[in-house]
Amino acid sequence: MIALHRVSKVFRVGPVKVPALSDVSFKIGKGEFAVLCGPSGAGKTTLLRLLYRDELPTEGRIDVADYNLTSLPRSEVPALRRAMGIVFQDAKLLPGRTVYENIAFVLRVLGTPRPEITPRAFGALKAVGLSARAQAYPAQLSQGEAQRAALARAIVKEPMLLLADEPTGNLDEGIASEIFDLLKDIWSRGTTVLLATHQAALAERLNRRTLVFQGGRLVKDDG
Amino acid sequence: MTASVLGFLAGEALRDLVRAGWIAISSVLLTTLSLLTIGGFWVFSTNLGDAVARWREQLRVIVYLKEEPAPAAVGALMDRIRSEGGVARIEFVSKAEALRRLKRELGAQAAVAGMLPNPLPASLEVTPRASASTPDATGALIQRLASMPEVSEVQGGTEWVERLAQFQRLLQLIGLGIGGVLVLAAVLTVTTATTLVLYARRDELDIMRLVGVPEAVIRLPLLLQGIGQGLLGAILALLGLIVGYRLARPGVEPLVSLTLGLPHMTFLSGTAIVTLLGSGALLGAVGGWLAKGRS
Ligand SMILES: Nc1ncnc2c1ncn2[C@@H]1O[C@H](COP(=O)(O)OP(=O)(O)O)[C@@H](O)[C@H]1O
Ligand SMILES: [Mg+2]
Repeated sequence: MIALHRVSKVFRVGPVKVPALSDVSFKIGKGEFAVLCGPSGAGKTTLLRLLYRDELPTEGRIDVADYNLTSLPRSEVPALRRAMGIVFQDAKLLPGRTVYENIAFVLRVLGTPRPEITPRAFGALKAVGLSARAQAYPAQLSQGEAQRAALARAIVKEPMLLLADEPTGNLDEGIASEIFDLLKDIWSRGTTVLLATHQAALAERLNRRTLVFQGGRLVKDDG
Repeated sequence: MTASVLGFLAGEALRDLVRAGWIAISSVLLTTLSLLTIGGFWVFSTNLGDAVARWREQLRVIVYLKEEPAPAAVGALMDRIRSEGGVARIEFVSKAEALRRLKRELGAQAAVAGMLPNPLPASLEVTPRASASTPDATGALIQRLASMPEVSEVQGGTEWVERLAQFQRLLQLIGLGIGGVLVLAAVLTVTTATTLVLYARRDELDIMRLVGVPEAVIRLPLLLQGIGQGLLGAILALLGLIVGYRLARPGVEPLVSLTLGLPHMTFLSGTAIVTLLGSGALLGAVGGWLAKGRS
């Protein structure tokens, strides 16, 4: 599903070069659940951004599913993104729309046939345990609920790969582990999951393959 | 792309228009103003063009003869003129016919004219062929006719018709010039309105890019709302032109018929109307397309 071969990423800030990832190689198979762990600044976000082709690597080769990201033309990026769901630390819900509308919005802009939209949106809400809050506006949600809504929006298009960048960064430990459980639910239904988090203790309880990053280097991979 | 996405995107475009608020209103009004200007000049120029065409058609060269030729000689004279080329029609007007025409025109005062010996010369009315009614060709024809021994004087020419035609071209240029500047301003305002929309919608656009909506689909509502602004402006301009034309016509038409000899004024042709509306839509599309987002 994912293969990195000697990937490096250097950001240029004016004349200054900031190395974010250095010589990273690993593979994640289809249907795996992998955790990217490491302190802030380790390069986790950069790695995920490379995977959804928000950035190109400075060196090395990246393959995601059938896409070689290093040579992927710009026009193919939407197709790659349609195959993956992405969630962030902040839920990025559209404030003017209800939870249901936020999820239906994705289906609509992707051209899903109209009769499918409502059942699929409610299916996704049910999967994250948020059916009762469908008509609430984002401002009325707790942070945990907002993150569930974001997860529902990410999985409603049935992606084969789910990328989660610190989805629990804002949450209390109890709620965070609920979200982690939810990610495991999603994974158990067949989606490959890649979770980036700095919450090492929580991640350990997931009991999944963990790749530890430090200063842009992959320092430990128990897979 | 399915119909349901298109419908959804059109709805988004409408929401965008509302969101852009007064900037969208000013771009609609600027579009109206620019197309109103162009359209107004166009109506003028259309009517002037009609007049020019009419005058070209009615163009006559009058060849005054030194003496009235014998009836038998008239045919030969006309044949000689025809052989000069560029002549569509010739009519002989005898002294007596000329007097009859004068009497008809003078009406009540005709009695006075009847008392005098006939002072009018005989003449030939030459109608140049349409292809030969350019200023140069007509000028050449007049020179050749004037050099004939039987001819005392030649009257007529295309000069003032040509001046009218030139005036029409000048009017077109002025209209396009002023209209063009206004169109440019309108395009820029549509671009500003669309940029505003882009900012108002940047969260949505970010989500759309993130979930893999093709860039063309993301741009389409922006394009549509630009076209909406332009088209709305064009429709308002057209309505303005129609109302203005209706209001002005009763006062202007007698004047036009007096000065230009046009029996009635005409409004823009169907093609012109479609062109005007199409220009509005195109202007809006360009304005919408030019808007730059963050991506
Ligand atoms: N767009 C950027 N421009 C410059 N430097 C960046 C950029 N993004 C990340 N970095 C740097 O790259 C390193 C890794 O950052 P990041 O991938 O965000 O780490 P993490 O997500 O593990 O906290 C950090 O030193 C960070 O400052
Ligand atoms: Mg990060």
